[in-house]
Amino acid sequence: MTVSWQRQPLALLALIAAQVACAAFFLIDVARDGMALRWAAFQSPHFTVEALAAMALIAAVVFEFRVLMQLLRQKAHLEEQLGLASGAFHEIVLARFADWGLTPAEQDVAMFLLKGLAIPEIAQMRGSAEGTVKAHLHATYRKAGVSGRGALLSLFIEDLMSAPAAPAPAAPVDKPA
Amino acid sequence: MTRYKTWDPAIRIFHWGLAALFAANALVVDEDNALHDRIGYAIAALIGLRLLWGLLGPRRARLSTLVPRPGAVLDHLSDIATGRHRAHLGHSPLGALMILNLLSSIALIALTGHMMTTNAFWGIEWVEEIHEMLVGWAGLSVGVHIAAVLWESHRTGINLPRAMVTGAKSVPDGVKIET
Repeated sequence: MTVSWQRQPLALLALIAAQVACAAFFLIDVARDGMALRWAAFQSPHFTVEALAAMALIAAVVFEFRVLMQLLRQKAHLEEQLGLASGAFHEIVLARFADWGLTPAEQDVAMFLLKGLAIPEIAQMRGSAEGTVKAHLHATYRKAGVSGRGALLSLFIEDLMSAPAAPAPAAPVDKPA
Repeated sequence: MTRYKTWDPAIRIFHWGLAALFAANALVVDEDNALHDRIGYAIAALIGLRLLWGLLGPRRARLSTLVPRPGAVLDHLSDIATGRHRAHLGHSPLGALMILNLLSSIALIALTGHMMTTNAFWGIEWVEEIHEMLVGWAGLSVGVHIAAVLWESHRTGINLPRAMVTGAKSVPDGVKIET
């Protein structure tokens, strides 16, 4: 997900850099012609066309730079939203755990389970026996009133899907101070 | 305001020395004057010393600090796009790119300038052409560099020109520091 976000601005940045070099080349050339020809320059079609081409290229660079800034603003906004969403979800999970009266050990194990870890992995991370982890999980299922791992997960997925489609708290990212 | 020592004296002398010599040769000293050549060699020597200092000098002078990660460049641009304030104690990523650009183009100007004095390349048009194009490019770059320094000083609240004189950046309170 983050890969396309990161590649797109970089490609645009490289394009802008290349065009800046070209625009500078034409601009310098026009300036030197202008200094050599002085007033006669304005009667020379070649000079006029060259100057217009340089200006068009500069306009394109300015436009692309604005697009790049827009892209980066959107990217920052999305990341902010994602951070808010995952932070909010984490809070919901913790609130549920507290409602069910899970012990700290059970909360820990349940959190690992939600993150998709298998029982042997949880046991290894907590440095406890698999039997202990299973006991914590069964206590969690009992307290949550569900039959197993899938049902526990679906409780949270249900929370996510039934969340109101109201706008997330406004993040002041796209309003430069 | 918190003051952080950032630029050692060698860096500062290099910066202002290069600026003065480049301005002298580009704007004041005539290209047919023998002084033009001597200033050119002085510039080449300055850049050579700067590269050496980049290998031997303190952390903030290191050459590696002049090559930013692409991600850091985008982060810096994102800060500008979203109006976020983050301070860089060393070279900012975009600033580092400008330094790379200026160092390499001025070094090439010195090289092509020297070539014009040699028997092999004297009077050869493309050498002179490249020399003059690069002076134009470096001149534009200096303009952008100055504008960007003023803009970044305004944006972050850190007086960057003063930091290049005193060697210390004064970072306003509440500005997050990116190392």
